Amino acid sequence: MRSDEVELTSVMHGEGWGGAETPAKAVARATADPVWARRLILGAAIGFMTLFVLLPLAAVFTQALRNGVRVYLAAVTSAEARSAIRLTLTVAAIAVPLNVIFGLSSAWAITRFDFRGKHLLSALIDLPFAVSPVISGMIYVLLFGAQGWFGGWLADRNLKIIFATPGIVLATTFVTFPFVARELIPLMESVGIEEELAALTLGANGWQTFFRVTLPNVKWGLLYGIVICNARAMGDFGAVSVVSGHIRGLTNTLPLYVEILYNDYDFAAAFAVASLLSLLAVATLIAKRMLGGRSGHGVVDAELPVKEAA
Amino acid sequence: MSIEVRSVDKRFGSFVALDDVSLSIPSGELVALLGPSGSGKTTLLRIIAGLETPDRGSVFLNNEEATTRSVRERGVGFVFQHYALFRHMTVFENVAFGLRVRPRADRPAESEIQRRVMELLELVQLDWTAKRYPSQLSGGQRQRIALARALAVQPKVLLLDEPFGALDAKVREELRRWLRRLHQELHLTGVFVTHDQEEALEVATQVAVLNEGKIEQAGSPDDLYHRPATPFVSSFLSSVNLFHGRVEDGRVYVHETPLLVTPEKTQSTAAVVHVRPHGIDVQLKANGKPGIAATIKHINAAGPRAKVEMLTDWGDPILVEMDHQRLKELSLSVDVKVFLTPRDESVFVYDGA
Repeated sequence: MRSDEVELTSVMHGEGWGGAETPAKAVARATADPVWARRLILGAAIGFMTLFVLLPLAAVFTQALRNGVRVYLAAVTSAEARSAIRLTLTVAAIAVPLNVIFGLSSAWAITRFDFRGKHLLSALIDLPFAVSPVISGMIYVLLFGAQGWFGGWLADRNLKIIFATPGIVLATTFVTFPFVARELIPLMESVGIEEELAALTLGANGWQTFFRVTLPNVKWGLLYGIVICNARAMGDFGAVSVVSGHIRGLTNTLPLYVEILYNDYDFAAAFAVASLLSLLAVATLIAKRMLGGRSGHGVVDAELPVKEAA
Repeated sequence: MSIEVRSVDKRFGSFVALDDVSLSIPSGELVALLGPSGSGKTTLLRIIAGLETPDRGSVFLNNEEATTRSVRERGVGFVFQHYALFRHMTVFENVAFGLRVRPRADRPAESEIQRRVMELLELVQLDWTAKRYPSQLSGGQRQRIALARALAVQPKVLLLDEPFGALDAKVREELRRWLRRLHQELHLTGVFVTHDQEEALEVATQVAVLNEGKIEQAGSPDDLYHRPATPFVSSFLSSVNLFHGRVEDGRVYVHETPLLVTPEKTQSTAAVVHVRPHGIDVQLKANGKPGIAATIKHINAAGPRAKVEMLTDWGDPILVEMDHQRLKELSLSVDVKVFLTPRDESVFVYDGA
């Protein structure tokens, strides 16, 4: 008998481990982490999740509904609340499409063209991620505020940007512009340029190539980017807070309105409005999950061969 | 449609991909651009297609200047190395693409598109895959769909970039024969890029051998194989034993041993001598004729022909291929001494130090 066979038999008889063990179990034991380690890690993950995410989320809804459904509905349908909802939706409706256009064109430029300053553009796209949103807001105050560079010129023409909707749109667009581009660039890089070249050799023009070949290949990634961009556009607080001026019923977005209600000790209303934003977050997570699966999140069809360096 | 490339240069940064390349392809030929990687063959193909712009020189299609025409306007069919099928479209839509993107005025009716696409799918024997997606097909099937898609726009020229490069040996053999037949049936002018000399010699009607951005030799497969113009072509088309020798008094000498071949050049000069391994006669005894004395070092008999590695008396390695019967007759084994006589048709003599 060979020595490894002796080994195997002893394991099969469970010597030294106590109790009979089937070979399959023995293999599983040999390749998996110890049970106590798995329980500890899993417990830590779930514990933190409950404490820091689920509990607060539940608290928002409990607080919002503490004084009954009627109070809740009154809070979210008041004139000021409706105005805040309308402004938030308007801002997102302008900022998101702008960033879709910007994201598509910058992703196209970076992945399809060779030009001077390509790396600079690629780095600058991340700027809003790198700076604090408060600073993003202050940039616009500096530019368009009463004392800003263009302040006098704007005042002469009676144009209001800071403490008005245009300022909020600008600040929101600024803080959300990396989302679509950052989602598309790696995706378009991995899809490659060959299908587009093939379309050209078959007689397609630029628009046909874009709409029939490029866009369908990145559509799930693009939608994913849009969802994330939209969530941030509706939920941003810092930059918007600086440029808004907090004029009730006029320049308050949902997050700003929540803060005002909270500062007024109107907790039930504050949490009621906050619950709307929480619902948006939950909806975003669901959408993100569904789109993330479909877009493969940057992973393209593994069966298609990867282009080799020529 | 004839293709003519005139004095084309192309650089990528400091890398010279093409250096003053000229090539004329008459209508109806199937031409192989053959060369090692980095020789510029794919760049040349892409310049003909209009996917790459030459730094200098011009391209003529059907005797008309086409250098400034875009890919769309050149009307060439291009098959990419990795097929570049539209992954989100069915096979049918892939093939129909070229017809669907036409301007409304010359776009065929839907029923006509249906008919033409199915006809092409039958031509490539894949009509049953119409509703599938590219990811559901094998490599060889994808290649044929890519070909059908390129043919759908009825190009006058078909350009193929390493058409069989990514396929396994068996599928490759089959597709080679199939491409040659297709070329005969459709009377297209075809150009394909390959690094496989066997493929080029078997499929093409004309072969252009490229090396370091220049065309070393262009001609019929027969011509190239039997009259390789440069040492590069000779060694690229088949494996060779290389010797440094000399030409003297109309004879070729390799290390003092005269070879029984007649060199084209007769003036005395240093020479590089290529000897094909399968064109060497092996004798056990010196028969009076001049021969190269060598000792057997290794015998590999697995394969269509036996490969025998030897060492000449002056220390150069030499590979000889022979059929199994001859190997048996001679009952060769390691350390046996033999005398080698290269046959005329397998010896090529080039100038060189």
